[in-house]
Amino acid sequence: MLRATGLAKSYRAPSGAPIRVLDGVDLAVRAGELAAVTGASGSGKSTLLNLLGLLEDADGGELWFGDERVSALGRAGKSRARGRWVGFVFQAFLLVPSLTALENVLLAARYAGRPAAEARRRALALLEELGVGDRRDHYPAQLSGGEQQRVAWCRAVLNEAPLLLADEPTGNLDDANGAVILDGLRRRAHAGAAVVVVSHHPEVAAGWGAVYRLREGRLEAA
Amino acid sequence: MRAEAVPRVLRILRGYAFTIAGIAIGVGGLVTLGAMSERIVRFIEGGDRFVLGQISVAGRGMGMGAGFTAGGLLPAATVRAIAAVPGVTGVQPQVMLPLNPSTSQFLTLTQELVLGLDLAVLMPNRHYRALPVRAGRFLRAGDRRVAVLGASLAAARGLRAGSRLTLEGASYEVVGVLERMLTAPDRFVFVPIEDAREQWVAKDQLLQTVLASGAAALTAADLNTGAAVGWAEGEDPDAVARRIRERVPGLNVQLPSELSRLLRSSTAFFSALLVGIGALALLIGGLSLANTMAAAVFERIRDFGVKRALGATDLQLAREVLAESLAVTLAGGLGGVALALVLGGAIDGWAARAGQELFDFSPRLLAGALVFSVLLGAAAAGYATRRVVALSPAEAIRRGA
Ligand SMILES: Nc1ncnc2c1ncn2[C@@H]1O[C@H](COP(=O)(O)OP(=O)(O)OP(=O)(O)O)[C@@H](O)[C@H]1O
Ligand SMILES: [Mg+2]
Repeated sequence: MLRATGLAKSYRAPSGAPIRVLDGVDLAVRAGELAAVTGASGSGKSTLLNLLGLLEDADGGELWFGDERVSALGRAGKSRARGRWVGFVFQAFLLVPSLTALENVLLAARYAGRPAAEARRRALALLEELGVGDRRDHYPAQLSGGEQQRVAWCRAVLNEAPLLLADEPTGNLDDANGAVILDGLRRRAHAGAAVVVVSHHPEVAAGWGAVYRLREGRLEAA
Repeated sequence: MRAEAVPRVLRILRGYAFTIAGIAIGVGGLVTLGAMSERIVRFIEGGDRFVLGQISVAGRGMGMGAGFTAGGLLPAATVRAIAAVPGVTGVQPQVMLPLNPSTSQFLTLTQELVLGLDLAVLMPNRHYRALPVRAGRFLRAGDRRVAVLGASLAAARGLRAGSRLTLEGASYEVVGVLERMLTAPDRFVFVPIEDAREQWVAKDQLLQTVLASGAAALTAADLNTGAAVGWAEGEDPDAVARRIRERVPGLNVQLPSELSRLLRSSTAFFSALLVGIGALALLIGGLSLANTMAAAVFERIRDFGVKRALGATDLQLAREVLAESLAVTLAGGLGGVALALVLGGAIDGWAARAGQELFDFSPRLLAGALVFSVLLGAAAAGYATRRVVALSPAEAIRRGA
């Protein structure tokens, strides 16, 4: 389902010197599989997820969604591929501040061109399931960090995209809510999605797929 | 969905309150400056309409009179001859004298003049059946020893309706003051023609002698310096003017179109000034609007990144931005128009005490300002959106953090 080969990414330090964050990452995640990525802070986990979610172009390497080589797509093609293939949970939630919790969740359906009424029903059910149903008309600023994270989770899974990329989706949650989301990740994999999760709880992948460690720009089995 | 549209728009607008206020200020400035230049346009057009509304004729030098103004005399017989020319409908004899004999003998646009009008005849000017009076009234048939003053002349001498004015030793009551026209009549004293004739004779030694001798068989009715001539409906004024020129000798006939050209060149400064004001208003108001609108888009750079990460295409984002910028600039534009109307109204209320009016909020100005703001707002938002979507979603999110 998801296949990356030789992904490389460098940034420029303020001094102008290049920082090689990813140096040839290979990764394959099949449908129904859940891969967990761990690694030290600053090792490039978020960078890798950005590349996998087409949020940024790699300097080198190839990326395949199914049998579509998405790394070769143009701007519009990448936009459409994001809407059709990817659900993304950002490390920093990234809810749109001018929209309510419910509207934030529905954004995902809007750009993917899903029918509005059905999306709305599903969004309400998801918010309810995550315990933020009564916060649906709140704006992000009126939500706690954990509540924002749960709303962001709902947005990422609304479309039931074949690819779910989650960057520390339980970072701000208590154990109970964290468990709901970890369970949600497994359920997405069970439903046939390829899931990549950056987490300090690599045990989430136990029985569902591999655990990787990102070190010195490369992925290694942990 | 429809029912939700109104609160949705209101909420979007609330999110842009600051932007809307900024646009309102820009548009408000644009509209107030524009209204000032509209006022000037109206003045200039007023003068132009005046000269295009009549054919002006003057007597050609007969060696009579003191040689001031155009110098000639337009005897009653000539006035009748003009009236007999086909296409002519009305001839109003006039006497034009310099108010202050020490000034130049040539007619200039800045000269103060006495204009005597034969009130027994209707004003033949097609566009001004009467001159616009600001205070008091205009001259009427049967008036004697009364005067109506042009705005500049009245202001310069501190005269109002009810004041008294001495001309050639005789005392006149000022019965009216005209609106400012930004053209020659601003410096005129209008009096009944009989009074003007008396002044003329009083000024002119030679004329006194001729009249006393009876040699030239002159009567008071012959003492005209010129006339305003009207034309019949459907006639071409320039053609009528040429016809008068051909058929009645001893006349200086001004073609209305020629005079209009002359006037336009004399108001060229004001035209340039108002083009300058307008350009400045567009530039300042436009820059402020474009800047505010672009800033509002750049402020949402992170949201653009997020939306693109969720699969929004450039086209979808452009549509969103366009709709929002439309709502925002329209709200800001309407606010700016309201601001300008309130501000201009207040200033004009104060200026009215000095008999002035500084602003002309014409419908074409208000509509133009709104269209301009909406188009410019959309262009600025579109430009900013292009810049923003050129970034990768990840980069947009980073920059907006
Ligand atoms: N735009 C950028 N410009 C320069 N350096 C960057 C940029 N983005 C990331 N980096 C650097 O790349 C490295 C990897 O960053 P990344 O965010 O991927 O780390 P991470 O593994 O997700 O860390 P954390 O666990 O703290 O979230 C860091 O050293 C960071 O300083
Ligand atoms: Mg990270």
